[in-house]
Amino acid sequence: MLARALELAGIATTSISLVREHTEKVKPPRALWVPFPFGMALGRPDDPELQHRVLGAALDLLDEPAGPVLRDFPEDAEPGDQPAAPPQASGIKPAEQVPDDVAMETTQMRRYHERWLEKSGGRTQLGLTGIPATRFRGVVRFLEGFADGQDVDMPERPSDVPLPNFVRYCADDLKALYFEGHLAMKPSEGGEAIARWFWGETAAGGLLRRVRDRLDASADPRWKAAAFGIAR
Amino acid sequence: MPRLDRLPQISRNNLLTFPAQVNDTTPFVRPAKPLAACRLAIVTTAGLHRRGDRPFTPGDQTYRVIPSDTPTADIMQSHTSIGFDRVPTMRDVNISFPIDRLRERVSRGQLGGLAPDCYSFMGAQREVARIEAETGPEVARRLLAAGVDVALVTPT
Repeated sequence: MLARALELAGIATTSISLVREHTEKVKPPRALWVPFPFGMALGRPDDPELQHRVLGAALDLLDEPAGPVLRDFPEDAEPGDQPAAPPQASGIKPAEQVPDDVAMETTQMRRYHERWLEKSGGRTQLGLTGIPATRFRGVVRFLEGFADGQDVDMPERPSDVPLPNFVRYCADDLKALYFEGHLAMKPSEGGEAIARWFWGETAAGGLLRRVRDRLDASADPRWKAAAFGIAR
Repeated sequence: MPRLDRLPQISRNNLLTFPAQVNDTTPFVRPAKPLAACRLAIVTTAGLHRRGDRPFTPGDQTYRVIPSDTPTADIMQSHTSIGFDRVPTMRDVNISFPIDRLRERVSRGQLGGLAPDCYSFMGAQREVARIEAETGPEVARRLLAAGVDVALVTPT
């Protein structure tokens, strides 16, 4: 749809497609369908060679004389080692003994996250709230108050960002701190193992389940949407 | 993938009932030059932006500008969803925004150059009227003004 708008203006486009069924309907001018999960359009992280093959195949479509062109990325290039979708919180049973001090746990995770930043050259998905990790105890206090049904807010919430959206940014930043901190400890672990650890073994996972419950109990569809985005 | 038959049922149903636009015809222009002389911009729908830029909200039909010389470490994603794993993006943003791969292609002479700016929209859009009528054409005008020949469109 976006590719069509650009092409109408005179810019040649080539797209990567993940859902073939949708691309067949939308009919963008040129699309390369790839056999990868959502969030992995170029194939696999830290695999420049595969990424170049995908990119090259998409750029090759610019040589086609007419369109629409929908070509499949060669089947034998599929990595085949990736889950279609990550496991959901509802499918992960919390362990018998889960720590309950989220603030203390978060402080500890911050140390691991600092290691992640050193290793990754500062690369991080943390930053949606604009609140630095050094002040995450405040984010945790806010989320705990919210989960307990209190009428809480944070001065960092921009006035045009509704409360449920900000709660979701807080949850996403907290997840980024934990997931990336975990990656610093166990660099080879994939998203599935990390999700099992987060929802099954951490105090923060328990807190986000309770945040989700409060959002989901609301009749407001925006609150329910935020609940769905945090945990299912 | 996501091959529909391999997804959990709730994700599959979500995709099958997704209101994808149905079109009969396709606009099509051929690039005027070979790729080695073309100026390319990434236009992504992965909800990416620079850290510190305003995050997207679900259904947001506005766009963000990502200058092509933005350090890779400063690019982040506010499209999050329980439907996909964020870990690959945490490891390597090239997984949906292949800026380092394109820089390599430019240095090898396979691509003419990168546009000064790339553009980003939010993913998983159900209502796209404003993108189609307003923000999409606005990005197209900005790309044309920057002398862009080719756009690479990438999803989440």
